[in-house]
Amino acid sequence: MLLILNWVYSMWFYEKDLRKHSDIVELSWQVTDDSCRIIYLGESSNSHYGDEESSHRKISDFTADYFPTVKMGDLTKEASHAQTYLYMLKHIPASSAVETVVVTMNLRSFGPLWIYSKLETPLRKQLVLLEDYPPLVNRFLLAFKAYPIKTEEEWNELVFEHWRNDTFNIPNFAWRTNVDWDYGMYSYGWYDTNGQRDWDVTALACHYIKTYAFEINDDNPRVKDFDAIVALCRERGWNLVFNLMAENVDKANELVGKDLMLLFRLNRDYLLKRYGNLEGVTVVNNLSLVRDVNFIDQDWTTEHYYEEGRRIVADHLAQALREFYPGDYHNPDSLKLDVGHYFLGGTRILDEQQPYSMTLALTADSIRPDWGMVNVAFEIKQQDEYSKPVLAVEKHSPSGEVAIDSYAVNKPVQENGTWDFATFALPIDTAFRSAQIIKLYVHNFSESEVQIRNLDVSFRPAYLKARVKAQTYKSVDLNNGK
Amino acid sequence: MVFNSIEFLIFLPIVVLLFYLLPHKWRWLMLLAASCVFYMWFVPKYILILLVTIVIDYSAGVLMERYADQHKLKKTFFVISIVSTLAVLLVFKYLNFLTANLDQLCASLGMETHLLTHIILPIGLSFHTFQSMSYVIEVYRGHQKAERHFGYYALYVMFFPQLVTGPIERPGNLLHQLHEKKEFHYENISKGMRLILFGFFVKMVVADHLGEYVDEVYGHLDEYNSWSVLGCMFFYSFQIYCDFFGYSTIALGSAKLMGFDLMDNFRSPYLSKNIAEFWHRWHISLSTWFRDYVYIPLGGSRVKFGRWAFNILVVFVLSGIWHGADWTFLLWGFAHGLLHIVEKALRNRFPSQESQSKWVKISVDALCVLKTFVLVTLFWVVFRATDLEHLKAIFVTAFTNFDGGEQMSVKPGMWIYLGLFILSDIVLRNTRFDAWCEGKPMVARWLIYAVLVFMVIACSSVKNFPFIYFQF
Repeated sequence: MLLILNWVYSMWFYEKDLRKHSDIVELSWQVTDDSCRIIYLGESSNSHYGDEESSHRKISDFTADYFPTVKMGDLTKEASHAQTYLYMLKHIPASSAVETVVVTMNLRSFGPLWIYSKLETPLRKQLVLLEDYPPLVNRFLLAFKAYPIKTEEEWNELVFEHWRNDTFNIPNFAWRTNVDWDYGMYSYGWYDTNGQRDWDVTALACHYIKTYAFEINDDNPRVKDFDAIVALCRERGWNLVFNLMAENVDKANELVGKDLMLLFRLNRDYLLKRYGNLEGVTVVNNLSLVRDVNFIDQDWTTEHYYEEGRRIVADHLAQALREFYPGDYHNPDSLKLDVGHYFLGGTRILDEQQPYSMTLALTADSIRPDWGMVNVAFEIKQQDEYSKPVLAVEKHSPSGEVAIDSYAVNKPVQENGTWDFATFALPIDTAFRSAQIIKLYVHNFSESEVQIRNLDVSFRPAYLKARVKAQTYKSVDLNNGK
Repeated sequence: MVFNSIEFLIFLPIVVLLFYLLPHKWRWLMLLAASCVFYMWFVPKYILILLVTIVIDYSAGVLMERYADQHKLKKTFFVISIVSTLAVLLVFKYLNFLTANLDQLCASLGMETHLLTHIILPIGLSFHTFQSMSYVIEVYRGHQKAERHFGYYALYVMFFPQLVTGPIERPGNLLHQLHEKKEFHYENISKGMRLILFGFFVKMVVADHLGEYVDEVYGHLDEYNSWSVLGCMFFYSFQIYCDFFGYSTIALGSAKLMGFDLMDNFRSPYLSKNIAEFWHRWHISLSTWFRDYVYIPLGGSRVKFGRWAFNILVVFVLSGIWHGADWTFLLWGFAHGLLHIVEKALRNRFPSQESQSKWVKISVDALCVLKTFVLVTLFWVVFRATDLEHLKAIFVTAFTNFDGGEQMSVKPGMWIYLGLFILSDIVLRNTRFDAWCEGKPMVARWLIYAVLVFMVIACSSVKNFPFIYFQF
């Protein structure tokens, strides 16, 4: 009886149900209809644009410009993550023309705030009909709610449970858990220039901690799903590219500081180590590539970029895809940087003979009045712990005097000899504005060799009020060392 | 754990299997443990409230029996038990309502108070407290021997098929069944499965599809026209019936798998010719509870009309409040009571003519059924409204907005499901689905099963609708 019912259901009901209750499968089918050779799987980072932007082109659209002879499609669904991508990929028919799969790897999606988001209920519900069982069994599972049904409060409770109980396994780390850290920031936080507590900025800093202060390990459900994606792509013979999305590291560094940057680095390294060395898998590391000014949401943590940000990620991704389609690659020359954004590519070795990196020199009239901050980022490789690189800002006054501000580069967390990134957010103060010429560069004061590459300078308005971080902001052991 | 979940579909066969595999002397323990698991699946800590009620009422039963000849002492135990059970109900169900109204009252008198509490109602509290109280009352009256075995008494209160939404069982029906040694009979399994299947159809296919429409319209009154709201009233009548009837049928079926017979809770209530009959057919376990423990002690119908009317109002207002702590429920109960009194007065004034022809009688009966259904439907609006403001908005939109707003479209499938259910309700008006199937040829029976299985799996609503009566 069940076999007959399954046949009836498969013949006349299943497809309609799939379209109705699992619309992501339609995206997968679309790819086949369009005979795409490269498909890009993404979430809101591929579909968001600024309200005032005239161009609504996605990262995948910009990437496609680099390969005009290769058909590229995208499967974009808001709030989706590795598990959603896995199901999307499973439902791409074997007869499709797909050769290469680009899967968005969103660092935030590995954290409890996303894993236990209230959006999980509808997302997981969407996946039930796509299970590997006979169609009638899938519909049975959907009818009897074989997916996590939780209220928003119950999901939140799970998030809090992880924030409370997941301890950081980093030697000599200042914080025990996310909650401790969050409370430390909340307790000390940010003050405005009048010495009054700036609750908005403090809340944003706390939110950065809540979002990014976690450690990825082998038990992370997203890791398991990405592993499954790797296995599936191997089985299907697809090239796999994980596109690690850019996060607002500028703001994270500005608001929270080096401890959070350490976690960014550790998590990035985990992903690069786990997937970057696998055969047939490429990881495109965009993590620190997009500057603060290019993030649409200035008061929240998202991967929604303005056009320039989308173009930068697309360009980076296109370079990776070029490996698979060298003959089809064509530079559309579309990566024109916005006014106030300077990118000095290439690598420099800073040693005793040549202690300076590439230098950005600007005249005063190029600093617009509405700009209040400058974000400076670069990649750095240090030979040993004795090196002393600093970011230098030279201000040449009209009278010929030169004032130099220097900002120490925090010690990288990786082993010496590996590339790391550094980011700074500097205020554009009166001295800055009154200078005739401004120069920005990295200076190595030591005998130990340092390498610098991709100096990225981005001027922007001051989104946040002028403020100072409390001097006493440091570890608060809420548990008295227990 | 809810019945229409994958967890329950795994849980139930395991329990039934263990029930028949274990020797009789251990079955109570397994059933009690299973009931605890079932209840704790919702919010584990609430089982402590149940435990308190069980301990108090169990002790009261034993002590009342021990001191049966010392009337004062016996009465003291009885009062302690009833008061403590009602206190639990008062605190967890009514305190929020009382404090909110006290705050409002004080505010209207110019005093600022902050008495409002935010206590979460444990699931099924009204059901198991009433079941517990029925035991204490029966023991006090001497109709029931006190249960000496704590485990069996706890199981009587917690028996999982009827724990959270009834039927509200009586000790006379359930307690002795729990003691009986149940043998495996294929017939019980067969009947139980039929009831469960039919219950799933009624709940998941009919009620939940109607719920989609009802939630949409009642949740966005400003967007819809009067026809949509009137349609919504009609659909809600069937949603609440199918939801509760479906649950009760699954409960009956689940108990039947192990050979237990729970009381019927519904008998085609929308075929009632008057409101009195409606209450003989709707939520029977609750209406008989109020009849036996409130209405009859108040004097029942063997009193003058005025006193009877008072008794009726008391019972219905209490029934309204039992459902929920809000003015809407009180109003709903009062409206039912009032209609009951008016109908009785009219029947006294205009007695029915015995000499009517068959067709006249059928027509009059049909009109009476229609009248009762329309009135009950209007009263369900009061029941469904989230508060008095919402109630007003529903009626205003229903009768004054024929030209504005959208017309909510009804999916053809919904009419089919509802039509099938109404047909089944007429066919099953004097029987139950499991018994009705008995007389059918095997091919017809299996065809019906196949259609129901298919509909439950392939046509059920995928939206998550908790059982409406869970909130009570």
